[in-house]
Amino acid sequence: MGVGSPTGGRSRRTTPRPTFVMKRNRKRGSLRFGTVSKSLAICACVAISGVAYVWQKNAIYRLGDEIKKREAILWSAQKRNLMLSAQLAHLESPAELETKCRACNLSLVAPGESQVVRLYEPGPEWDVQMATAPVPTRTAVQQQAQLRLRNAQSRALAQQGL
Amino acid sequence: MTLAPQQGRALIVVGALASIFTALAFRLFDLHVLQHKELSLMAQANREQVVRRQGRRGSVLDVNGNLLAESLSVRIVTADATITAPHAAEIADKLAPLLKTDPSSLAQKLSGQSHYVRLSPRVKLDEDAVQKIRAMKLKGIYFEDQFVRSYPNGPLASHVIGFVDAEHKGVQGIEASMEDYLQGQSGYEVIERDRKGREIRALRTEEQGPQDGLNVVLTIDQVIQHIAEQELDKAMEQFKPQAGAILVSRPKTGEILAMSSRPTFDPTDMAATSADARRNRCISDVAEPGSTFKIVVCSGALNEGIVTLTDPFDCENGAFIYAGRVLHDAHPYGVLSVEEILFHSSNIGAAKVGLKMGPTRLYDYIRRYGFGRKTDIALPGEVSGIAHPLSRWNGLSITRIPMGHEIAVTPLQMLMAMNTIANKGVRMKPMIVKSVVGAEGTTVLQCQPQVVGRVITAPTSELMAMALRKVVGPDGTAPKAAVPGFDVAGKTGTAQKIENGQYVRKYFSTFVGYFPAADPQVSILVSLDDPTGDVYYGGSVAGPVFRAAAEKIAEYLGMEPQAAPTEVAKVS
Repeated sequence: MGVGSPTGGRSRRTTPRPTFVMKRNRKRGSLRFGTVSKSLAICACVAISGVAYVWQKNAIYRLGDEIKKREAILWSAQKRNLMLSAQLAHLESPAELETKCRACNLSLVAPGESQVVRLYEPGPEWDVQMATAPVPTRTAVQQQAQLRLRNAQSRALAQQGL
Repeated sequence: MTLAPQQGRALIVVGALASIFTALAFRLFDLHVLQHKELSLMAQANREQVVRRQGRRGSVLDVNGNLLAESLSVRIVTADATITAPHAAEIADKLAPLLKTDPSSLAQKLSGQSHYVRLSPRVKLDEDAVQKIRAMKLKGIYFEDQFVRSYPNGPLASHVIGFVDAEHKGVQGIEASMEDYLQGQSGYEVIERDRKGREIRALRTEEQGPQDGLNVVLTIDQVIQHIAEQELDKAMEQFKPQAGAILVSRPKTGEILAMSSRPTFDPTDMAATSADARRNRCISDVAEPGSTFKIVVCSGALNEGIVTLTDPFDCENGAFIYAGRVLHDAHPYGVLSVEEILFHSSNIGAAKVGLKMGPTRLYDYIRRYGFGRKTDIALPGEVSGIAHPLSRWNGLSITRIPMGHEIAVTPLQMLMAMNTIANKGVRMKPMIVKSVVGAEGTTVLQCQPQVVGRVITAPTSELMAMALRKVVGPDGTAPKAAVPGFDVAGKTGTAQKIENGQYVRKYFSTFVGYFPAADPQVSILVSLDDPTGDVYYGGSVAGPVFRAAAEKIAEYLGMEPQAAPTEVAKVS
């Protein structure tokens, strides 16, 4: 095959070969900095995006694993907490406490009425009374308290037959 | 134009390749476009797995926040018997010591045809055992987390709390009646697993966390319940009755502080319990109330102004003939006042008060006190008792009902009637649930005391209290029920039992009372069904139980004795 007529036959070139002068490539002379930097920036962007995507995916998986581990720890702690609360309730149950007291021979009993000192909350009538009463001095208050305490002690001793 | 042989062959190859790629392209188009919806769903189903998470059932707490029932998460061992069957005996030998079970029964389970067999149902498997089983790497053996119901106090208040079935659903007691509040809501997660079967957390697409059930706070006080049960057990030991019941409440609010009956059961060991033991006799058993019912007729007659406490009634020296039948008293009495009828517990006196009152008014008071209908306590299995309508009364009814015959009541109904007198004539609804709270302590439901209605006036209730105080006095029927330091008002009851339609020499011994009479804080009912031995009167059998329980309860609640013989100091 080779260069020839459309029919494929050989023919002699009669017309002179035209002189073809290519236009000079204006960009061929030197690489422009802007273009290079743009290309590099695009490449860098693509590369960074790729790496970031992979890093992010990796981080998501890693965090997922961590969440999973912590969920397991939380679940286990909650489970243990429930177990302990049930154990505590059992140990605090009246029947269990009684059994323990008996086993340890602690001789613990509820206090009798003679062993109870009842303190009364001042009511409104007490407030009214105190509002009109003269303000006692510090020494007087102390004396009253001491007197009350001594009376209480002597009554308690008298009741115990001492 | 003819093609060279090479060109022809090339065309065939190109054609073949083109048709292959066309077919592939079509298949791709078919898979990715035409069948996209179905196939993507199939792929998703292959990858994803829906895991259900069960919500924890709420707890049951006493009035002070002490745990009475709680759900615990335990790990159980399951097996695919179709996989384990060939080596069942070998696996059973390895697992039996760790699961604390019998190897032969385990081998039987492992050699079945089921894909899911529970090997350690409801056994709290410790972590060591789990690790050991895991290390064995047995094929077809799996672990599963499940909730089990724990009752830290064992049989304490078992009739009130009830129990749950294998599916963790309430069957009896509060567990059943408060099921809607207690049950947790299940959640789910859509997850993907890696080739080792571990979940890939990052690919969890949907997540709906389970919601725990709400906690139910009861009016029951764990310590008072223990005291009541302890005293009931002592009475069961001493008098060996067929059954017994004890109830403690606050008359002013209707709060139930303790409720128990015997025989009882342990909810942690349901296999060893009988249906008879599971029955809450305080609300589901009815019996003739006997003399305790005299409070109804006497208070009704006093309230209507038909009688006064001092009105005399001839008690016919112990034998009263009415409508051709003789009515007897336990002891012969002459003329008694209404007050004396109450504290001597005269049947003839009560019958005569009933006759004076008339059937219509008597029936009206029976209904006003709440007999013949449920109290609507928040517990399942309550019965309404038997209070026949007037149309079914016979000629003798007007003399028999005032002494507690021809009528059947539950212990709770009787206690609430006594509470009405203690509460200045106002009948309260019994209250067993105090509140419903969330896991974070937020109150979802706060129950308030509910007034049912006024039955008698406050002055009438004071007159009744005056008469009932003498029941525990030296001349009354229950001096053994007197509580030192406290003014007690109460009433005894000794009702004959009916067997095969005939009254037999078996008795229900009852004492119901409250203290301090002037300002009632606590009311207690004690009932023993057929106590053995010579002593069977309510005052002698149930009275001492009342006293023992009342003394301890007063001590626990810090109630100050009215007559303070040992008061040390009073600082005000």
